[in-house]
Amino acid sequence: MHIDWAALGVVAVVSIAASLIFTTLLASGIRLVSAAKIKSNEGGSGTTTVFSLGYLSLGIAALIVLFRIYLIIPQFH
Amino acid sequence: MGTDVAELFIVVTVIAVALIFDYTNGFHDSANAMAGPIATGAIRPRTAVILGAFLNLVGACLSTAVAKAISGGFFDDQLITASIILAGLVGAIVWNLMTWLFGLPSSSSHALFGGLIGAVIVGAGIASVHGWVIVSKVLLPAIVAPLVAGVAAAWATRLAYRITRRTPSVHTGTGFKYGQAFTSSMVALAHGTSDGQKTMGVITLVLIAANLQAAGTGPQMWVIMISALAIGLGTYSGGWRIMRAMGKGIVEIETPQGAASGAATSATILASAHLGFGLSTTHVSTGSILGSGVGRGAEVRWSVARRMVFAWLLTLPGAALVGGLAALLADQGVWGISVLLVLLAGICLAIYSLSRRHRITHANVTDSHEVLVLPAATPPTYAGEALLEAPNKPKKVKKPKLKSAA
Repeated sequence: MHIDWAALGVVAVVSIAASLIFTTLLASGIRLVSAAKIKSNEGGSGTTTVFSLGYLSLGIAALIVLFRIYLIIPQFH
Repeated sequence: MGTDVAELFIVVTVIAVALIFDYTNGFHDSANAMAGPIATGAIRPRTAVILGAFLNLVGACLSTAVAKAISGGFFDDQLITASIILAGLVGAIVWNLMTWLFGLPSSSSHALFGGLIGAVIVGAGIASVHGWVIVSKVLLPAIVAPLVAGVAAAWATRLAYRITRRTPSVHTGTGFKYGQAFTSSMVALAHGTSDGQKTMGVITLVLIAANLQAAGTGPQMWVIMISALAIGLGTYSGGWRIMRAMGKGIVEIETPQGAASGAATSATILASAHLGFGLSTTHVSTGSILGSGVGRGAEVRWSVARRMVFAWLLTLPGAALVGGLAALLADQGVWGISVLLVLLAGICLAIYSLSRRHRITHANVTDSHEVLVLPAATPPTYAGEALLEAPNKPKKVKKPKLKSAA
């Protein structure tokens, strides 16, 4: 019997990278949308870019969720 | 004629006991997905277990692939007989209930393998078990899983706090709670697809061995349905003792931290499932919660974490011991199996009544971090803590007023 160190390494790297990417997208989205909301509440202008950037990163996070669901459901592959 | 009846009796017994195992598998692992969101209040306890149960049920129905080798490579597949499966299942059930009583999240797969290994040792001697496989499939993953998930969660938590440090908590609260609800749901779904097929595999194997089903065919529809139902019901019942141990026992979980640990859990489980190094869902979830606590710089109860790791290492030998003893009875034919069933029922009842002494339910799961067992055990009051909380902080008032995120 042998231990598959390569698979272990790949799993470790992918797990850590995927967690960090997802968290970064989620947290950035929350931060940007929140900042835009606060600014527009204060009557500030030019919040559209910040809003759309925020929703963009939340959207990518949502796509990751969809991709993961695709991975989970065996019928898809 | 007599042997036919005896054979049918064994088949029916194995199916029934397999479903009981499936149920314990569900409630033991309910916390893997839902302990985090319940602890942070992202999803209310009742809603969380309903969601988890539904997703486990759906997941189990989706994964119709027969579990490849029930032996898991720990021993020769040809050694498997109906009575060995029965004894293995009994070992796994008893171990799952014991660890539940003490609020220890342990791997249900390891418990099942342990029970089977014990039964095989009794039947065919210790030489028939491949020791190396135990090292590579049980010991190593039990160390690797919490490390990988823990590192991922710690970094993710640090990032989440770093990025949102100026964002008002009203906004981070809602956002991270949604994130947590989604990642937890994925863990529940993935759990259904992986663990649902264990029971289906066992039942199908027994049906084939008894010539009630053609060899080489997949699980029948009714087998899929009842297995999915059993794991769903188990998840719904909540396993609140483990839920508390994971959600409150290791470390207090704040909302951003919960979202980061959920992200780490789901990423690690999926990576391990698809990239060829199997890790236990339980170990990954526990590791993530632990790591997220370290990442936030919170006070981690290392004694609790250490106890959990000991439980993981003991799961295989513990379940093997029970499985071995059960095999002594199961090998004696119908009367032995009958005695075994009575004993199993007795043990289940005894553990259940012990658990009633300090009940944990959906209503009080987040009230404390302790899972008490002994009749005399009363929540200890620490001198320092009592002083800190002297101004009578209304602790239990928190009736979650958040609308469910699901």
